[in-house]
Amino acid sequence: MSEPMLTIKNLTKTYQDSPEQPKILADLNLTVDREEFLCILGPSGCGKTTLLRCIAGFENFEGEILVNGVSRKEPGSDRIMVFQTFEQLFPWKTVEGNITWPLKKTGMTDKTERHRCAMEALAKVKLADYAHYYPHQLSGGMKQRVAIARALALKSEIILMDEPFAALDALTRRELQNELLTLSAAEHRTILFVTHNIQEAVILGTRNIVLQKGGKIIFDEKNTLPKPSTPSSPGFAEVWQRMRDAIYANENAE
Amino acid sequence: MKTSEKASGKTAEHLARIIFLLAVLGIWEYVARARLLGPRSELIFPSLEAIGRAFLRNFSKGYAGNSLWIYIGNSMKLLLTGLLIGNGLAFLLSGIAAVNHTFYSIYNLVISVCDLLPGVALLPVVIVIFGVKSGVIVFLVIHAVLWPMSRSILDGFMAVPMIYVEAGKNIGLRGVGLLFGIYLPASIAYIVSGLKVGWARAWRGLISAEMIFGIASCPGIGLFINQMRTNMNNAEMYATLVVIIIIGVIVQYGILTPIEKNTVKKWGMAR
Ligand SMILES: Nc1ncnc2c1ncn2[C@@H]1O[C@H](COP(=O)(O)OP(=O)(O)O)[C@@H](O)[C@H]1O
Ligand SMILES: [Mg+2]
Repeated sequence: MSEPMLTIKNLTKTYQDSPEQPKILADLNLTVDREEFLCILGPSGCGKTTLLRCIAGFENFEGEILVNGVSRKEPGSDRIMVFQTFEQLFPWKTVEGNITWPLKKTGMTDKTERHRCAMEALAKVKLADYAHYYPHQLSGGMKQRVAIARALALKSEIILMDEPFAALDALTRRELQNELLTLSAAEHRTILFVTHNIQEAVILGTRNIVLQKGGKIIFDEKNTLPKPSTPSSPGFAEVWQRMRDAIYANENAE
Repeated sequence: MKTSEKASGKTAEHLARIIFLLAVLGIWEYVARARLLGPRSELIFPSLEAIGRAFLRNFSKGYAGNSLWIYIGNSMKLLLTGLLIGNGLAFLLSGIAAVNHTFYSIYNLVISVCDLLPGVALLPVVIVIFGVKSGVIVFLVIHAVLWPMSRSILDGFMAVPMIYVEAGKNIGLRGVGLLFGIYLPASIAYIVSGLKVGWARAWRGLISAEMIFGIASCPGIGLFINQMRTNMNNAEMYATLVVIIIIGVIVQYGILTPIEKNTVKKWGMAR
């Protein structure tokens, strides 16, 4: 049996600078399979961002995080993060440079190859025409697309997405959801996608989990609805309702 | 509609400036010709024509057998040497401060203290130590740029948004890689403003030092202007002031503004 893509064992996280040092995540265990699209939901402050940041290697933690069976404590391009903020691109680099430069830094020595990879990734997010723009000349949705293209070009096996569409308007959000759905089907990546939006999770996820305060997983279900699914697809409403109940019950319990 | 309004506003602004300038020159010329200040009028307000001729004479004849070009060249040589060393040191020391915490806290203190010392106040001390050599001027220029530039770089590093640092770490950058790949470009707005402050101080410091302690082995613009005063060549004196202004304008609009345009402005990173 092959190793799972990502294994999290007994993950416990406290922030040193918080006074009473509550456990933001307590003894969290999670296994994510290759090419899974895992949506993570839960109330504000339950530790979703913290979980992704631990996986990305940005935080110290207790416990173990294994990628392909190998323990990871430091950041690395095998787990690329797509942040919520639009300001995650390097403003001093063009759209293309924002992809070619990370490629160079992660060891792609051939310049024409870097250019080819960048243009290929930009084409996937429909931004090939904007290669020479600077980030400040792009809209928020376009910036998020570039960030996704960067993760694609870097061939990161795991892509960590922390509410990447939360700050977008509804229409752009729908558009990017559709694109991400197509990309995730074609790209064979493992994606961890944090969202507040149940509908988004049902549309995108192949598996959905709901966290409670303290990072306890109170809902964990494979999403077997045939994709693409819409709110009117058979079974959609039931999945949506089950997740909503899980989140809601959790909120009531507090 | 909006843009044309803006454009016409700009032309009106330029027009107003030109009219103001012409008016000032007109008044000057009137005071000069009418000899409003009596017998000393010609000394204090030489006519524009006299200043214009003095301007040309500065470059053709100059002083003590040397054209003003030589003096400008000497000043620029010292200035450039000082700017290069000063800015180089600022980057080096700030870079070390960025990676070593103890060095950071000491260097921070040194900057705060040294930044308060006007360069000219240091002149006597420096001369006591080194003697009257052109190196003294270079030292003053270094002093003028090193501290504000270091302060700007360190402030810039502190203000780098965490997200760029994390995006950098995410692609495997560490230590020096982060410094050059993320911290430096991300603090460009601070670095450019440090360059501006450094230049302004260096230029003023240079001219004043040259005027106070003109160095015979390497005579510069400051010395030239002082010689014009002692010889009562007042038209030449004014003409040299114009030269100093022109050099300032060339540096501002020929070097600093383009740097800003091609970095901060182009990248949308204005503070
Ligand atoms: N840098 C930090 N220092 C101290 N506490 C933090 C820090 N970041 C997050 N927290 C706390 O950790 C908890 C979880 O935060 P977060 O992971 O951002 O939640 P979520 O993303 O699910 O909304 C919150 O209570 C928050 O206040
Ligand atoms: Mg969050």
